[in-house]
Amino acid sequence: MKSVKKLLIYTKPYTLFVVLAPLLMALEVTMDLLQPLIMQKMIDNGIANNDMTYVVQMGILMIVVAIIGLAGGVGCTIYSTRASVNFAADIRQDVFKKIGHFSSENRDSFGTGKLITIVTSDISLVQTALMMTLRVFVRGPLLFIGSIIIVFFQAPELFPILFVLIPILLFFIILLSRRAGAWFKRVQEGMDQLNTKLQESIAGIRIVKAFVRKDYEIGLFKKVNDSLTKTMTTADQIITILMPILMFVINIGIVIALLLGAVRVGEGAIEVGVILAFINYLNIILMALMSSSMVLMQLIRAFPSAERIQQVLETKNEVESIIDSGQVSAIKGCVEFKDVSFSYSKNGEQVLKHISFTVSKGEQIGIIGPTGSGKTTLGKLLPRLYDVDHGEILVDGINIKNITLESLRSSIGYIAQKPILFSGSIENNLKFGKSSATNEELAIASKHACAAEFIERLEARFDHPLTQGATNLSGGQKQRLSIARAFVRKPPILILDDATSAVDANSEAKILQGLESDFDGTTTFVIASKISSIIHADKILVMDDGKIVGNGTHHELLENCPLYQEIYHTQAEKGGVVVE
Amino acid sequence: MSNQTNSIAKMQQLTGGGGPKGRISGPAAKAKNPKETLLRVWNYMEKQKAALLLSTLFVILSSLLSLSGPYYIGVIIDHYIIPKDVPGTIRMAGMLLGIYLAASLFTWLQTYMMVNVSLKTIGTLREDLFIKLQTLSLNFFDRHKHGDLMSRFTNDIDNLNQALSQSVIQIISSILTVAGVAIAMFSLNWVLAIVSFITVPLMLFVTRQIVRISRENFSKRQKDLGELNGFIEESISGGEVITLFGKEHDTFTEFHTVNERLRQSAMRADIFSGLLGPSNNFLSNLGLGLVIGIGTIMALKGLITVGIIASFVTYSRQFSRPINQISTLLNSIQAALAGAERVFEMMDEVPDLKDKNDAISVSRFQGNIKFTNVSFSYNNERKVLQHINFEAKAGEMIALVGPTGSGKTTIINLLMRFYDINSGEILIDGRKSKDYKIRDLRKRIGIVLQDPYLFSGTVMENIRYGRLDATDEEVIQAAKTASAHGFIKHLPDQYNTMIASGGANISQGQKQLLSIARAILADADILILDEATSNIDTRTEVEIQKGIRNLTEGKTSFVIAHRLKTIEQANRILVIKDGELLEQGNHDELLDQRGFYHGLYSNQLRI
Repeated sequence: MKSVKKLLIYTKPYTLFVVLAPLLMALEVTMDLLQPLIMQKMIDNGIANNDMTYVVQMGILMIVVAIIGLAGGVGCTIYSTRASVNFAADIRQDVFKKIGHFSSENRDSFGTGKLITIVTSDISLVQTALMMTLRVFVRGPLLFIGSIIIVFFQAPELFPILFVLIPILLFFIILLSRRAGAWFKRVQEGMDQLNTKLQESIAGIRIVKAFVRKDYEIGLFKKVNDSLTKTMTTADQIITILMPILMFVINIGIVIALLLGAVRVGEGAIEVGVILAFINYLNIILMALMSSSMVLMQLIRAFPSAERIQQVLETKNEVESIIDSGQVSAIKGCVEFKDVSFSYSKNGEQVLKHISFTVSKGEQIGIIGPTGSGKTTLGKLLPRLYDVDHGEILVDGINIKNITLESLRSSIGYIAQKPILFSGSIENNLKFGKSSATNEELAIASKHACAAEFIERLEARFDHPLTQGATNLSGGQKQRLSIARAFVRKPPILILDDATSAVDANSEAKILQGLESDFDGTTTFVIASKISSIIHADKILVMDDGKIVGNGTHHELLENCPLYQEIYHTQAEKGGVVVE
Repeated sequence: MSNQTNSIAKMQQLTGGGGPKGRISGPAAKAKNPKETLLRVWNYMEKQKAALLLSTLFVILSSLLSLSGPYYIGVIIDHYIIPKDVPGTIRMAGMLLGIYLAASLFTWLQTYMMVNVSLKTIGTLREDLFIKLQTLSLNFFDRHKHGDLMSRFTNDIDNLNQALSQSVIQIISSILTVAGVAIAMFSLNWVLAIVSFITVPLMLFVTRQIVRISRENFSKRQKDLGELNGFIEESISGGEVITLFGKEHDTFTEFHTVNERLRQSAMRADIFSGLLGPSNNFLSNLGLGLVIGIGTIMALKGLITVGIIASFVTYSRQFSRPINQISTLLNSIQAALAGAERVFEMMDEVPDLKDKNDAISVSRFQGNIKFTNVSFSYNNERKVLQHINFEAKAGEMIALVGPTGSGKTTIINLLMRFYDINSGEILIDGRKSKDYKIRDLRKRIGIVLQDPYLFSGTVMENIRYGRLDATDEEVIQAAKTASAHGFIKHLPDQYNTMIASGGANISQGQKQLLSIARAILADADILILDEATSNIDTRTEVEIQKGIRNLTEGKTSFVIAHRLKTIEQANRILVIKDGELLEQGNHDELLDQRGFYHGLYSNQLRI
C-alpha cells in the first residue's frame, strides 16, 4: 500500500488530468441518468397534454444531453490515457535512470532478469491499473454509496438487510484480494525466472547449440513456464471466486427482502413497491460492485508490481558519489592502495587481503598471478565498481571516496577482460569513450589499438554496424575495439585487464609498444597472465590468493620471488614468449 | 494440421519473408491478415475443445438461470406476497435461493474453466515459441536484439492472455442477450423494433473504423515496446561498461528517445481505442432518443400505449449493453492480435539450417576431416573465407594460426555447422557434413568457445551441461582434468556454489576452466579449443594441456591459440590470413618455408 502511495507522486505533474478524467466520467454518467428523466417528462407532459412541440423540444434536449455525454466520455478517455501513459513513461524513465546508476553490487543483487521484468512488465501493469481506475473505478463506488443512501431514505424498513450484507461483501472482497495479492507477487517472481531463463538461453545460444542441449533447454524452460502457468492459474482463480460470491450474497439479500416482505406485507407494515425498489437498488449495488471489483483485480495485480518498482527506486546505491568535493583539479594519476581488503559477499571469503602499494604518475604497473588470485578485482576497485571493505585507495593523495564518481571514472580508461560492445556502428561504440571525439581522434585511437587495420577493410569502415554482443566480429577484433574505446579518452589512468588475450602476438606487441610511446604520462595497469605482456613494466605486482607476494621489476622479481620465477620458467619452456 | 501448414505458407507470402537467405526481417509495415492470426490462435485453443464446450454450456446455463431470477421475483410478488401467502413465499424463496446458488456455481465453474483454457493455451504457445527459438540458427540471433525477442514471450503473449480469458464468455452471453431482446422487441411492436435497430449499422460502422485504426496503433505500440525492451535488456546486460565510461547520461538520452516514441504510440493506441466506449454509448443514447421520440409520436397518434414505450426503453438499454461490451472486447482483441502477430512472425521464421530428409545418424566419428574449396560469407557481403583446402586425419592435432579476424573461428563455426558454407564442401569421415543429422554431428564434436558462457546454477550443473547423465564423480574427474578442481574446492559451497547469471561472480579464467571441464565431460570424438586458455595463467595452462593431451589421444583436435609454444606440437598448422589459407605444415616445415609463420614466430620471440 505504501509503495503505491509513493508511486502516485508520479501523477503529480498530471494532477489536472487525474482530476478531470473522473469528473468527465461523472458528467457522462449524469447525462446517462438524465435521459430517463427527460423521457419521463416527455411522456408525462407531452402525451398527456397532446403537445407535439413539447415532444420535439424534449427530443432535441435529449440529443443535446447525449452530445454532452459523448464529450464527457471522450474527454475522460483522453485525460485518463494521458495521465496513465505519461505516468508510466515517467516512472520508466526514473527507474531506468536509477538502474543506470546502480553499482555492480546493486545489479548483482537484483539480477538482470528481474530488472528487465520490472522496467517492462511491472510498469505496464501499473499503467493499466491507473487507466482503469480513472476510467471505471469512480463510477462503481459512486453508484454503490449512492444506492445505500437512497435505500436508507426510501426503504428504511429493509435497511437492516444491507447492514448485514455489506460487511459480508467487504469481508470477502478484502479476504480474496489479500490472497490474490500474495499470489500475484509470485506471478511476477515467476515472470522473473522466465525472463532470466530466456535471457540466458538467448545469450548462451552458442553453447546450447554446440552441446546440442536443445531438448534440455526446452525441458528447463518448460519447468519454469509450467510453474508460471500454474501460479498464474491459481492467482486468477482466486479472483474468479469473487464474482460468484458477490452475486450470491446480493441475491441472498433479495431472497431475505422477499421473505421479510411476505411477513411485513401481511402485517401491512410495508408496501410491495418498497420491496421492488429495494431489489432494484440491490441490483445497482451488485452492478457497481462487479464493475469496481473488475478494476480491483487490475489494482491487485498492480500492487506487487508497484512494490517492486519502488524497491528499485528506493535501493540505496552501494557506491555513493559524494555530492560535490569542491575543487578537484584534474587527476594526475598517482595511485596508492593502503591496506585494502575486499570480499564480494559481506561474510564471504576475502578476495583481496591487506593490499598495499604505491604508483607514481606515468608508471606502468604489471599485475600477474594465477587464475582467481584477485587481479581483476583489484582493477575493479579503482573505478569504484565496488567499494573496499577495509583500508583505502588514494588517487593523487585523495581517498577516491572523496572524489566525485564522474571525475574519477572519466579519468580512468578501463578495458575489461570480456569486451562488451553495443549494437550500433563502430563509431558509436568508440565514442563511448569520449562523445566529442573527432574522426581523427577515433582514427588515432584505433590505430594504437591495432583496430584500424581491420576497420579499414570493412566496407562501411567506422559506420560498420555491430550486432548485439558484436557477434559479427571475431574475439580479437572485439578486444581491439574495446581497447580503442578506452584509448579515445586519453585518460590519466589506464587499466588493461588481460585485454589482449585474443589478440595475436604481433598486434599485442604493437599495442604494448604504443602504450609506452604514446601514453607516456599515463599511469597504466596491465593485468596479464603472460610475462611477455608486462616484462617492461616499471613495477610488477605478483599476486597469489588475494595477497601481493612480490613487488618489483622483472629482474628483481626473478631474483627474489619464487612464484614469479616459477611462472617465468613454465612460460620460457612451454608458453614460449620470454626470450629477451 | 494441413490447415496450419497452409496458413503458415500464406503468412510467409504476406510477410515477404521466406527465402533461404532472408535478409533482416524488417518491420512488416504491410497490414497483416488478422483473420489468419485469429485462426492460428484458435488452432491453439482447439486442443482444449472439451473444456471450451463445457464452459460454453455453463455460460448458457448461468445466463438462463440469471434471467429466470427476475421472472420468479415477479411471480413471488404477484402470486404469493400480495395474496399474503407466507408459507408459499417461504417455499418459493427457497427455490429462488437454489436458482441463485446454481447460477453462482455455474458462473464460477465457467470462469474457472476459461481461466484454465486460456492460461494453458498461453503456456503452450510460450513453450512452442521457445521450441521454435531453439531450432533457429545463429543467423537469426545475430539479427535480433535479445530484449525484443524476450518481449514477444512476455508482453505480447500477455496481451493475448487478457483477451482470451474473457472473450469466449462475453461473446456467448452477449449473443444470448441480444437474441433474446430482439425476439421480445419484435413480438411487442415491429415498427419500434426496426427503429431501435436503426443505429445498429451505424454502431457497426464506427466500431469497424475504430478497430481498424486501433489495430495499426496497437501494432506500432507493440513494436515500440519491443524496441524499448531490446534497448533496456542490452543496457542492463552491459551495465558495467556504461558505468565505467560514465555513459549513464548518454544511455539515458537514447532511452529517452525510444521511451518518448512509446509514450506517443501508446497514447495514440489507448486514446483511440478508448473512444469506442463513449461513441457507442452516444449512439445508443441517440437510438434511445429516436425510439422515445417516434414512440411518443406513435402514442400521440394512438398507435401504441405508454407501457410499450417503457418496455422498449428497458429493452434498448439491455440491447446496447452487450453491444458495448463486445466492442470493448474487440479492442482488447486487437491488442492481443497485434501481440499474436509478433509471436507468429517469430514462429514463421524458417531456420536456414535444417537436416536433410535422408540425413544419416552417426554415433561415432573416426575424425577424418577434409575441407575442399570452402568459401563463406556471413551475410553475402565480404567473403570471410575463400577457397580453403585442408585435411585432418583421425587423431591429428591441427592448430589454426593467424591474425585477429582472419577467419579462424569461422572455420570452427562451419565445422560445427553453425552456418552453412556458400561453396565447396566439408567432409567428415568421407561424407559431406550436411549429410549428417545436425544434432549427431554437434554431439560428437566437443568445443570450448572463446566466450566461456555459463548459466545460472551450481558449478556441478554447469559442468554437467557437457553430459547430462554424468555422475558426480565423473564431473569431479572432468574438473580435475581441466585443473578446475583446485579453485572449486576453495569456493564457499564447492561444487554446489551458485553461479550468477552469465557467471558474474567468478573470474574469467575460472570460467574458462569450467567451460573446459564441460567440454572434457562431453567426451566427443573431435575436440575444438578456440582460445580456450587465453585468460588462464601459464602454470595452469600447462597442467590443462597435459590433461587434454591424455584425453585427445587418438582424437582429432583443433586448437586456436596465440601462444606459438602451444601450437608447436601440432601435427599440422594452418596459417590463415584474410580468409585464405596461406601456409600449412608442421612447425619445422613452416619455419623452413620462411614465410608468414616464420615471421610470426620470430616476432613473438623478439619481445
